[in-house]
Amino acid sequence: MATGEGRHEGAAAIRLRGVSFTYEEGTAPALHDVSLTIHRGEFAVVMGATGAGKTTLAKLLNRTIPAFQLGHLTGEIEILGRRFDQQRVADVADTVGLVSQDFEAQLFATNVAQEVAFGMEQRGIARDIMMRRLGDALAKVGLQGFEPRDPATLSGGEKQRLAIAAVLALQPRVLVFDEPTTDLDPQGKVEIFDVLAAMRRQGFTIVLIEHEIGAAERADRLVLMADGRIVADDHPDRLLPEVERLEELGVRPADLDRLNRALRSPTRATTVSEAEALVRSRYRVNPALPPGQAEDGEPLLSVESLSYVYEGGREALADVSLRVRTGEFLALIGQNGSGKTTLAKHLNGLLHPTRGCVRVRGQDVRQLPLHQVAADVGYVFQNPDHQIFAATVRDEVAFGLRNFGVAEPEMERRIRMALDAVGLVGLEQEDPFLFGKGQRERLAVASLLALEPRVLILDEPTTGLDYREQRRMMDLLRALHQRGMTVIVITHSPWVVAEYAQRGILMQGGRIVCDGPLRELLAREELLARCHFRVPDITRLGLRLGFTPLTLDEFVAALDPV
Amino acid sequence: MALYLYLDNRTWVHRLHPVVRLLSMVAFFVAAFVVERPQWLLPLVGLLAVLLLWTGSVQNVHRLRYLFVLIFAMTFLIWTWGYGPDGQPPLVRWGPLRISRTAPLFALGMAIKLNVFLAAGTLFLSTTRVEEFADALNRVGIPYKIGFTMTLAFRLVPVFLDAAATVVQAQRCRGLEFDRGSLWQRLRRYIPVIVPVFMGGLRRADNMAMALEARGFQSSSPRTSLYESRFGMLDTLALLFLLAMTAGYLGLWWNGALSFSRVSP
Repeated sequence: MATGEGRHEGAAAIRLRGVSFTYEEGTAPALHDVSLTIHRGEFAVVMGATGAGKTTLAKLLNRTIPAFQLGHLTGEIEILGRRFDQQRVADVADTVGLVSQDFEAQLFATNVAQEVAFGMEQRGIARDIMMRRLGDALAKVGLQGFEPRDPATLSGGEKQRLAIAAVLALQPRVLVFDEPTTDLDPQGKVEIFDVLAAMRRQGFTIVLIEHEIGAAERADRLVLMADGRIVADDHPDRLLPEVERLEELGVRPADLDRLNRALRSPTRATTVSEAEALVRSRYRVNPALPPGQAEDGEPLLSVESLSYVYEGGREALADVSLRVRTGEFLALIGQNGSGKTTLAKHLNGLLHPTRGCVRVRGQDVRQLPLHQVAADVGYVFQNPDHQIFAATVRDEVAFGLRNFGVAEPEMERRIRMALDAVGLVGLEQEDPFLFGKGQRERLAVASLLALEPRVLILDEPTTGLDYREQRRMMDLLRALHQRGMTVIVITHSPWVVAEYAQRGILMQGGRIVCDGPLRELLAREELLARCHFRVPDITRLGLRLGFTPLTLDEFVAALDPV
Repeated sequence: MALYLYLDNRTWVHRLHPVVRLLSMVAFFVAAFVVERPQWLLPLVGLLAVLLLWTGSVQNVHRLRYLFVLIFAMTFLIWTWGYGPDGQPPLVRWGPLRISRTAPLFALGMAIKLNVFLAAGTLFLSTTRVEEFADALNRVGIPYKIGFTMTLAFRLVPVFLDAAATVVQAQRCRGLEFDRGSLWQRLRRYIPVIVPVFMGGLRRADNMAMALEARGFQSSSPRTSLYESRFGMLDTLALLFLLAMTAGYLGLWWNGALSFSRVSP
């Protein structure tokens, strides 16, 4: 629709006046008296903790709310100078495009061309125009030549780009992205941010909801939300340095801003080079890093020349060898498809090697029934929704214990121990389906902890959580580790690796390319970059100054004023 | 896991109008349905074999080979025993079991007939996109929403199977064993698998519904289609041939040439 084109030059793209929304089943408003103006061509990033109202805001913009999720809406919403109050979602599609986190649920067609054409077919757009727009949309997301491919065969980043192309085909001028990169690996995230940067250059108005602060650094606007309200709305340069405030709002501040704050720097260093100059001008670096921990634990898991070939003949693991000792905290990193999960599933006997051997406490996993291995090696799957089924928290935790025939008094003790460890005591009779993602994730951990395994393997335990919940989850794992648990974490999050793990294993193409104490691994910046793992800025800065700090505290402790 | 049989081979069968492809499947079904004597199925088998080879769909027949063999064997066995008396002295008498004289031929006919159905279906799905199928259904009067729902089902089945496989793994990690205890106990053990898959399915359906609308589904304007199919010369020829084939078989059936004579006992 060419409604806004030209006539509203300079006018607001999005204008909200006193918007409040309460979900039908909710008691408190999800949005409370929100007023917001986003100008044409602006790139606005919205951040805040889970439950702050970000997704509600996004869905209001294309009328998914209140069309699909009923509730009480007051206030005015204007897009490109028009109000869509009585319109259906389908009729807003060529004004506002919404791309959400769940890219799998946004794809319906059997090939890429049909996927992009879908919206245009619904609109009855003539075939020659359709073909042209199809080409345009695919070019914008860099998927030219993918037309005949089945979407199911694409990588995560490609699927999300396809979802974006499908929305673009209807030519909306306002694009809303609700955490588009949350479920992607680092490579996928880079792809999406590249697409966003290109869209921005072409003058689209973009609203991006994100957890990671990196996205905000290049934005025109940063909107911070808490408890259904907008608590700050300003240029990122003015908000990003407010480190404490961001943390309070459940947003992890950028490393360099945390450094600026810790050093009370008068100028704001925004690049590693600027920070380097700043530090060199004011401090002498005198690293006194704690020595790496000696590997003295008992051998627990051993993998010998393991190869694994999937049914179709694809080799997922090639000649992988590794030993894990009791008491280690190990991070398994690498791109999607590098073999991390396949390797981890060998460690508890879910998969059996094609060649080679996996031993748990000296015993060949192939010789043991799975449930026996599972008692030693607990495995928390990536998505807690793949395991939670019980009607109460207590039953969920009791499930594994019943399977192992643990009897009553002992069962009670273990349930209590597990719930205590994850901070869910007192919620035994609650329905886990009403929990947020963070609580569900912790419940999943508890249900395996109750089995008292020696090793806990977690597949991306922080994905989809906000910063506060991520901290809570990782602090929980650290506490377990301090009590003697061996922990193996599969993750894409650089700061999680740097701050929590002691040893890192980097995988690429089904092989281990680097395995060693974390400090040694993170020093190999180039190798990691090739595997799309971005070393935290604070570590990169340290490397330029001749040492490898893992945390801000370590870095600051190494500085002596000149 | 790929559930689709569609092969992007672009033969002239692929270029036929989707409605014609749909009708040809129906024609094969009807023609085979009225036949009892196996020799009369051979022309259909031959024609299907040529078409399957021509369109490269034999690859799918190979994928489904166990299904073909299973259906053939089961049908043959069941009808050999289940045909019942034909008024002539039985071929085999074994205690209470009798195999009548017509039974083996009839069973062979049934077995081939079901495989013809399966082969015709395979040919259709190998040469027709799910979207074209929905489009064809729409053109013969079935509402677009129903056809579209069907295409969604095709898309969702592998997703569900995938989720189920993950859930099974996750629950096995918590000590769930499927192969222990009585049947009832085993069935109960599927609850921890069914609930997460079902809840995930609901969530997925909800997200999909929103994404569909956000892409203009149910928009008030009339629809167009990316793969515009025009009715051409080839379609006319194919239709004439199909008409002749179906009419021929129906005619033979009317004259009783296709059935075994039955004498009431």
